[in-house]
Amino acid sequence: MTDQITPINMPKWGMEMSEGDINTWYFAVGDQVNAGDDLVDIETSKIINTVTASDSGILRAIVGAQGETHAVGALLGVLASADVTDADIQAFITENTSAAAEPEVATEPAAATLAAAAAALETKAAPLVTEAVAQPSNNLSKLAEGEDDSQVAASPVARRLAAEYGVNLNNINGTGRHDRVSKRDLEAAVLAAGGRLIGNSIDKSVGATQFGDDSNVKATPVARRIADQLGINLFECRVSGDRGRVCKADVEAVAALKNKMSAPAGSHIAGIGGGNTVESQPISGMRKTIAARLQASKQTAPHFRVHIDAEIDALLDVRKQINSSNTDAKVSVNDFIIKACASALMKVPAINVQFDGEQLSYFSNADISVAVAIDDGLITPIVTSANHKGLVEISNTTRDLATRAKLGRLKPEEFQGGSFCISNLGMYGIKQFDAIINPPQGAILAVGAGEQRAVVKEGLLAVATVMSLTLSSDHRVIDGAVAAEFMSVLKGYLEQPATMLG
Amino acid sequence: MSMQQFDMMVVGGGPGGYVAAIRAAQLGFKTALVEKEHLGGVCLNWGCIPTKALLRGADIAHTLKEAEHFGFAFDNLSFDIKKLVQHSRSVASKLTHGVAYLMQKNGVTVIDGNASLAEKCLLDVEHEGKVTQYKATHIILATGARARNLPSIEIDGHRVWGAREAMTPAALPRKLLVIGGGAIGVEFASLYNDLGTDVTLVEAEQRITPAEDADISALAEKAFKQRGIKILTNSVVQSLDTSGSESVALISGPDGEQHLEFDQVILAVGITGNIENLGLESLKVETEKGFLQADGFGKTNLTGLYAIGDVAGPPWLAHKASHEAVICVEKIAGVDGVKPLNKDQVPGCTYCRPQIASVGLTEAQAKAAGHTVRVGRFNLNANGQALAINEAEGLVKTVFDQNSGELLGAHMIGPEVTEQIQGFGIAQQLEATEHELAQSIFAHPTVSESMHESVLDSLGIAIHQ
Repeated sequence: MTDQITPINMPKWGMEMSEGDINTWYFAVGDQVNAGDDLVDIETSKIINTVTASDSGILRAIVGAQGETHAVGALLGVLASADVTDADIQAFITENTSAAAEPEVATEPAAATLAAAAAALETKAAPLVTEAVAQPSNNLSKLAEGEDDSQVAASPVARRLAAEYGVNLNNINGTGRHDRVSKRDLEAAVLAAGGRLIGNSIDKSVGATQFGDDSNVKATPVARRIADQLGINLFECRVSGDRGRVCKADVEAVAALKNKMSAPAGSHIAGIGGGNTVESQPISGMRKTIAARLQASKQTAPHFRVHIDAEIDALLDVRKQINSSNTDAKVSVNDFIIKACASALMKVPAINVQFDGEQLSYFSNADISVAVAIDDGLITPIVTSANHKGLVEISNTTRDLATRAKLGRLKPEEFQGGSFCISNLGMYGIKQFDAIINPPQGAILAVGAGEQRAVVKEGLLAVATVMSLTLSSDHRVIDGAVAAEFMSVLKGYLEQPATMLG
Repeated sequence: MSMQQFDMMVVGGGPGGYVAAIRAAQLGFKTALVEKEHLGGVCLNWGCIPTKALLRGADIAHTLKEAEHFGFAFDNLSFDIKKLVQHSRSVASKLTHGVAYLMQKNGVTVIDGNASLAEKCLLDVEHEGKVTQYKATHIILATGARARNLPSIEIDGHRVWGAREAMTPAALPRKLLVIGGGAIGVEFASLYNDLGTDVTLVEAEQRITPAEDADISALAEKAFKQRGIKILTNSVVQSLDTSGSESVALISGPDGEQHLEFDQVILAVGITGNIENLGLESLKVETEKGFLQADGFGKTNLTGLYAIGDVAGPPWLAHKASHEAVICVEKIAGVDGVKPLNKDQVPGCTYCRPQIASVGLTEAQAKAAGHTVRVGRFNLNANGQALAINEAEGLVKTVFDQNSGELLGAHMIGPEVTEQIQGFGIAQQLEATEHELAQSIFAHPTVSESMHESVLDSLGIAIHQ
């Protein structure tokens, strides 16, 4: 009977995703779910995204509860029709949880995380939705087929709903004025194809999941609303209201009990000797990933560093000229470094690589990750094909990426991948530092502040604006001489910026 | 101390600027707002809101005048304009404090002073002689606009008022000349006429409220004349002699020149953008005819610089500024589905008596744009509610594209039409055709039933006329 069972698995959004936190289930066990419904929100290190149901059925079991962390591919829940027996469901769960990755991947050795990322590299064009999310039912999927429907006459409401249902308007017979497709036409077609109307499913909060649908429990309207807001299932509540109804006090009693039980799980502040206080709190998904990935990088990739100084007075002159002659340009020193790295990576392609432990991938373009500090961590948006972009374009791209990075509004493809990384701490006055490679990339450049220093030129003391650059490379795939060559080419571009134009 | 740095700095605390700051803060930008005078800008302090507070007084004056019609009689009626002005100022001050609270609530840093661009993404703020420099990735200019002078006539704040002085009179003028028959001029003419002043309104174009549909202007002119407002169209004030005890205006018009005496003049001939002393010239920021040049999302030609609201050009309306604020900030933040401003969907409201409200194209504009139009008209004298409240002077005019059924424009004059125009605005935004509007059920008895009848009239099936 397993062919009637549809597993809901932890999806893989992008090659670096190895695990995800279960954020919110939108359905409770026992709910009817339709293809296309939002099922569950998954939080990864970088984004929160929603897994949608690709098939219709009853949500028979939830395996991954809210707050748990599960590996990519792990079974999170089971969809099946009503005629599949509970025993079959249980057998299916047992079979699939023992075979698949264990939950709580974070406790595995960090190397495994890197391996997972590496595995993803092999299937570079991995779709955003996992294969586990099965195909929509036939009739519904037929509604989605067809050519561009932007010219089909439809009311704005119908067009919006069509986008939500994934329906191509070419497949709908319009009965409105001038044969315009109305909301009613669209909904009739969805129902005819065996679908269910959006909006008929109430968002179930997570607390409700283990008790099932409580919509038939007798309760006062106020109690029902408070329970909904607090994520309390009405089955959990005693019944003390008149006419056998759950009343407000009943819900509040459960809420008080839950607060007492869950208090130690959150952050707490403890006093230790000398009036010093310690605040402990669980780390965020992003912090977990930073921790796991950087530890994996340091443990698996033998880092070696090469260091060089570049004089940037000529570069500063060119920057001044560009910025004063273009109103629409505000090129920073960092934009020059991105451009210079892109040019140098084209000259020394052995640096422009990713290595997953087994396979070495060479990239034809320089997709340069730029480390951006954000409120609760660090993110590396990518200036793609920087070798094909001019300085002004690089500058405007970087400004837009950095703005949206800080707001948490980057799309996954904008920060996942990259063939090289730049980390610049110059604005803090840092003279020089080493950076940890951003796996599976092969190398990272650490950039210090440009500052006036005494230099010796042909035996004479002179003043120049000098910047210290340090390249960390993965010695498994990048040799010392290659790294040195890259740095010398990079220095050349930075000291004679006109040569980047060639 | 190192320079303070923001993701977003907004210059100007009016309905463009403060809305931009709030939206930016909501989206997670570290945001600051620079204001040189009062939060709330002209709109809250010296524009929309305080004039509406005064116009409420004019409404009461009008109601008292027609009280007899409803059977009331009273003696010893007195009026103290100082109290009306006091009411207006207290409303303005209340709202200004409201904006300050919103800034605090949203975590926007408010900086007092005059801002000017020192560099790209670099602002100098001068306050009490001290200049502080701030760095900002994105800078939005929302510095607003001010009343324009004529070459021969300037606002002196004494004999010649701008809008600002006109809303804080110490005493009621006897004979008032209003120069300019646009929205601001018409509102002050209506206000002072209701309060008992002898008003003359001069407009250079051939009709008052020249931006409105011609049918609306004609009705407004008729209503104004009935109220005793003298209207001189196609007329220009050539000179104004303020040396004597009365100001003498030389007005030329279709009937030649005449000298007329007034004790007060209001100049309302348009506005000009506040683009001075912002450091725009040295950075080569593009301006045209006194306003900043920006694209549909407020982006100027200078990296990281944006312009919204009055300073970015017409229409000079608070709600247009607020809308531009939101789309400008959301565009920068990469919010999905942000659309550029469609100026044909910005409603305009004039709070004279009867009120005027419109959205979209006039009949003439629609025809000039190549549309084959279908026009509906409905007069309020056939509307039960308008008759009941004794405000049956008015018209609802709708302009549809004959082929697509698109609502191209709606033009209204009558009681509370400024509240009713939103209905047409929503219909336009939803791309409703005359068909959907005709099928909608309008409640009875309401003045807005006339909206429905106007649509029905465009289809030739109006019920009550």
